[in-house]
Amino acid sequence: MNKEQVLEIAISAAVAAGNFLLKHSNDFIKESSKESLRDIVTEVDKYAEKKIIEILKNNSSSSILTEESGRIPGKNRKSYWIVDALDGTVNYVNHVPLYAISIAFIEDGFPNVGVVYNPVSNDLYYGAEGIGIYKNHAKIKVRDRKPEECLFAVAFSGKKYEPTTRGKEFLMFEKVNDSTRGCLRTGSAAMNLSYLSEGRLGGCWGKANKTWDVAAGLLLAKLSGAIVEYRYVDKEKNLVSYIATVPSAWSFIKEKIKLW
Amino acid sequence: MNKTLLIYGAGAIGRGYIPWVFRPDKYDYYYVEINDNLSKLLNKNKKITTFKTVSYNKYESMEVPVKYCYHLDEEIGRISKVDAIITAVGPRNILSIIENFKNTSVPVICCENDSSIPELITSLTNNPNVVFAIPDVIASNTAPPELREKDPLSIITEDGVCYIDSKVANLGGNCVYVDKNELRRQWIAKLYLHNTPHCIAAYLGSLLYVRYLHESMQNKECEKIVIGAIYEMKSVLLKKFHLDKDFIDWYASKELQRFRNTLLYDPIIRVAREPFRKLSLNGRLIGAAQLSISCGIIPENIIIGIMAAFCYDNLNDPDANIKYLMKSLEPPDFLNVAMRLRPGEALYELMLDRWDSNLNKLRRLKQ
Repeated sequence: MNKEQVLEIAISAAVAAGNFLLKHSNDFIKESSKESLRDIVTEVDKYAEKKIIEILKNNSSSSILTEESGRIPGKNRKSYWIVDALDGTVNYVNHVPLYAISIAFIEDGFPNVGVVYNPVSNDLYYGAEGIGIYKNHAKIKVRDRKPEECLFAVAFSGKKYEPTTRGKEFLMFEKVNDSTRGCLRTGSAAMNLSYLSEGRLGGCWGKANKTWDVAAGLLLAKLSGAIVEYRYVDKEKNLVSYIATVPSAWSFIKEKIKLW
Repeated sequence: MNKTLLIYGAGAIGRGYIPWVFRPDKYDYYYVEINDNLSKLLNKNKKITTFKTVSYNKYESMEVPVKYCYHLDEEIGRISKVDAIITAVGPRNILSIIENFKNTSVPVICCENDSSIPELITSLTNNPNVVFAIPDVIASNTAPPELREKDPLSIITEDGVCYIDSKVANLGGNCVYVDKNELRRQWIAKLYLHNTPHCIAAYLGSLLYVRYLHESMQNKECEKIVIGAIYEMKSVLLKKFHLDKDFIDWYASKELQRFRNTLLYDPIIRVAREPFRKLSLNGRLIGAAQLSISCGIIPENIIIGIMAAFCYDNLNDPDANIKYLMKSLEPPDFLNVAMRLRPGEALYELMLDRWDSNLNKLRRLKQ
């Protein structure tokens, strides 16, 4: 499979799942909490994920790592898909139109194809190493600006934290919020990274986010010209922390945000 | 004493056609070009040769001395001393050169395929002398090998007419200075009787794997679709803009002759370039189809042309991603996500309804 084919499969799966999510967005949705009040799952999540898995399985032999189903082995062990069928579930169930499907393809340990799709705004972000990065039909890139002119966003972890640890996160949030155009907590890490990639945000960061939330977005940010740094903070639990900003805001954010 | 022209863009119009409008015996030529190789070659050769088709088997040639070609990043000290600036860089590149027009009131003549450009430049530069021009001509950005052997910078153009806003009539030249109303009439005709069928012929040609536009028109099925699209647009121009029928007929037949011109070597990849720009909601394909529907005319042939643009497959094109989207999305999603057409809209429904049959028609063209 070449990158073009991988990209086509990922787009096809993301949009199919997006259509499904959109169609059922007004249905009665049964939700259940996982590790914290903000970490929830719905039946719609699961069905959307099933749809994506079906498309990926029918078109490739690579393994699949998903939020709800875990690891699904495939014949090809060198590469695998990372899937989040619904990043921003809390937004989805509350009808806040900011959520996305995120699909990345990992080869030799690094994402090289990424797709993020917000079905409400119909924004499809996609890119691959050697191909470039696009939103719908248009090529996109970051909009480099001084940090004071940038809007930022953060994705806190959905996991239950100790109050002192959470306190430190809020402190970092405050530092950035008060010395820039502001800092948002959008509820979707994938959308944060996509917004950075198209020049809406000047940067974003996340502490102990799930890999499937951010794998595609981190690649998109990198392809769009952002500076990106990430580290696994717990490989077993697929937790990753990261900072991604436009070049001119990098040192500013690095100085304020201490993730590791 | 000669007048001085500073021309942004040494491509098909800037290098090939403008010298026929402003003859080099009366005008000195300075260029600004972003392409490094072209800029170096212009400065090395200090001349270009442009060929004009004067009949169906004959060219007239002209050597144009080039005083200097600036690279786009180079500082242009003489900008306030020139008699006119001419832009022919393509609408997408205008914003990258606009900075240079600030603090000058030198007339700027925009030979761009977008009538809103002069207003944009004026508002961003405060230069009140920015005018629109319509080079009613097809100019190729290349020439057949035998002409390029004599001069690698050879280029071919038709014998066309250049309509320029009479506000800058003092500049003279071999062009037609017209008032805003006539400029508007010419623009509407160009937009819909030239731009729309021209790119349809190119997208159909790309499916036939031919290189030049006239080769596309030699295929009877393609020609039929192009003629059909022209017919649809003629009806729109009559109904919507109330243009004179004789003018419309004359314009349409002139365009068809142009597309068939075997001397022109108009490259398909030039005309078909950037399909998403041509497919923009107000552009020459989707925009033309929408206009047609708003007049109660179902644009069957334009819809086939749009479909051909969807199928454009050129990995070197800036809009090469159209191929990925077309391959990976279901037809309703492609129209919605890639084209931003909304379900329920007339064009969306018409396209979807004819999707398979039009694809089959295009497949048959290839055979």
